[in-house]
Amino acid sequence: MGKIAIIAGREFNEHARKKSFIFTTILMPIAFLAIMFIPALMMNVQSDAKHEIVVVDQSGKIAPNMYDTEAITFTTSQTKEEALATDKSGIFGILIIGEDVFTNPSNVQLLTYESSTISIESEIVGQISSIIEREKLSGYNITNLDEILASVQTSVSLKVASLEEGGTAKESSSMLNIALAYILSFLIYMFIFLYGNMVMQGVIEEKSNKVMEVMVSSVRPFELMMGKILGIASVAVTQFVIWIVFILLLGSAAMGIFGVNEMLAATTAAAPLDPATLTAAPAMDSDLAALLTTITDPAYILRILGGFLIYFVGGYLLYAAMFAAVGSAVDNVKDVSNLQLPITLPLMIGLFVMISAMQEPHGTLAFWFSMIPFTSPIVMMARLPYGVPAWEFGLSVALLVVTFVAIVLLAGKIYRVGVFMYGKKPTLKELLKWARYKY
Amino acid sequence: MEELIRVENVTKTFVGHTALDGVSLTIPRGAVYGLLGPNGAGKTTLIRIINRITAPDRGTVWFDGHPLSPADVPNIGYLPEERGLYKNMKVGEQALYFSQLKGLPRAEAVRRLRHWFMKFGIEEWWNKKVSELSKGMAQKVQFIVTVLHEPKLLIFDEPFSGFDPINANLLKQEILALRDKGATVIFSTHNMSSVEEVCDHITLINKSKNILSGSLADIRRSHGGNIFEVEVRGGREALLKALAGAPCTILDSTLGDDEALSLSSPSALKLHIPNDEDIRDVVNIINNSASMRSFREVIPSMNDIFIRAVAGKL
Repeated sequence: MGKIAIIAGREFNEHARKKSFIFTTILMPIAFLAIMFIPALMMNVQSDAKHEIVVVDQSGKIAPNMYDTEAITFTTSQTKEEALATDKSGIFGILIIGEDVFTNPSNVQLLTYESSTISIESEIVGQISSIIEREKLSGYNITNLDEILASVQTSVSLKVASLEEGGTAKESSSMLNIALAYILSFLIYMFIFLYGNMVMQGVIEEKSNKVMEVMVSSVRPFELMMGKILGIASVAVTQFVIWIVFILLLGSAAMGIFGVNEMLAATTAAAPLDPATLTAAPAMDSDLAALLTTITDPAYILRILGGFLIYFVGGYLLYAAMFAAVGSAVDNVKDVSNLQLPITLPLMIGLFVMISAMQEPHGTLAFWFSMIPFTSPIVMMARLPYGVPAWEFGLSVALLVVTFVAIVLLAGKIYRVGVFMYGKKPTLKELLKWARYKY
Repeated sequence: MEELIRVENVTKTFVGHTALDGVSLTIPRGAVYGLLGPNGAGKTTLIRIINRITAPDRGTVWFDGHPLSPADVPNIGYLPEERGLYKNMKVGEQALYFSQLKGLPRAEAVRRLRHWFMKFGIEEWWNKKVSELSKGMAQKVQFIVTVLHEPKLLIFDEPFSGFDPINANLLKQEILALRDKGATVIFSTHNMSSVEEVCDHITLINKSKNILSGSLADIRRSHGGNIFEVEVRGGREALLKALAGAPCTILDSTLGDDEALSLSSPSALKLHIPNDEDIRDVVNIINNSASMRSFREVIPSMNDIFIRAVAGKL
């Protein structure tokens, strides 16, 4: 064990001191936050700019009822020619409303000096539509129309709660679940790939450098392999912990700057949801409440972070051992492609199943692939935010641990033979044959 | 002499070929033991078995009186023929790392490393990266790391490759000094002149078998083939006249291209004196008719013995 710790220590030092490590460790959370907050920032910037639109209302009934918004100011003009003749500076465009707009609602034209935006267009369309609707309604001579309209206006906000065993309902936010499921399981996939490859390249480097030859006289190949795998695992965990701290710090700073609402709006914009929710402000508030109760619930945080660490470490160890075995068998990185298939294939399958598991976290497909140890780290991670029965979680982790031990022993045997094999490109079959060699 | 290593009947087969076939040998404590043989003879496999990197299919290796066990590995220092260092690590850091893997505590390792770095005059390399060193420089660092933990058994596989003669000599002196301090050294090389300089025992492995084993002096003497060189004052004619009737055969230098058998001076001749003849008779006959400057047995070089042994002409 002592030697494994020394080897792991060297691996940690080598990778954690690299510029690329420091670079990605700092850049990743910044990029992550940028993706989340740039939409919020953009909204702030956008609302500063005023767009002046000259309205030429040939029907005469629309323009008086149009109102300015944060982004748009309406001015009126009698004719199109007059509007075109006015000073163009500061004017976004000319809106021409046809005389027969009440019977022919498509007779509305927007001529712009710069390219139009969806938000301006939908604002104009919304205003004109509601003016026409209202005009038409008033044609029916309903008394107290305004009061009726005010009392009719409704905005539904859906509160979602998941039923826990024992009957207590707990508020949950499916938006948060989807986001977490996707981000965390994808992170696991990425980490396994990234750090597994790091292990493989390290092994190949040691072999082609002949450092291995010097090492094997004082260290058993198995210790060498485990030291490398654990050392790089500690690099990964360090990076992860730095990220969590970083995101928490930056996140709380950002909350202070932008305020909770914009941030939430931004997250919604980032998530692939119906854009209608953007404007449905009351719905946002209840979602926000659910989100806040969820992310401040210690049990939830523990389940997500704990699950992430267990599946990340377990999945990484399982795959890193396979990466190490493959690395030991070849002389340079170019030769790994055909041997890597049994590693990359289950990882890819895991990723595909994960995407469907996010939609149906308790379906048959999601269940089975969250039990198979080669895909469970990715698939189960996508299911965890939705809540998974304890026995499923326990069984999945147990299977992962058992398989990990078996694979590490197998990989250790291949590794032992592989590191002394030079100059030939072995096949998978040969690799498995090596595992049966007497040492 | 007391033995440190005894290899008994060791056989190791890889898929398709036998690397070692019933090899036995005994390595005396405190010896510099040459392990010789052509490429692919099985030397590296034998070394790996002694290092416990690989296990024999059959046979036993005894270390210090007991069967070799994992606990013995820290008592062995091995400098492999194919050796490398981490290119991006600093020299001192790397030397420390390897020393710690051999079980030296950090502080002790630093102390010993400083000592060795001073001895080799390479203190200023401590903070250099390995990629900045030449091959010979890197070899020096590897040598230091191999011997630093002062193991009972040192195994050097082609230690002098990549060294200039001055540094090779420095290394040779250090190896002998380690031997004098009590270490046993196994020395694997193709360089026969260095074998003659440092080894006191050898084993010659050819085609997976031990074909020649023993003390270097005994082996060279016993393969002398009863050939003597005699030199007299007055040139070869006088010598030829004197030798007429002596119980020996005069060897013509043109008979063989063997360097050791060629004549070294115009007043000298090589003779073959059969085993059953008394050397004194020959000496007396020469002595009576010419003034003899020297008479000595021609001892073949290791190079010679190696080539003849491998060719099966011993």
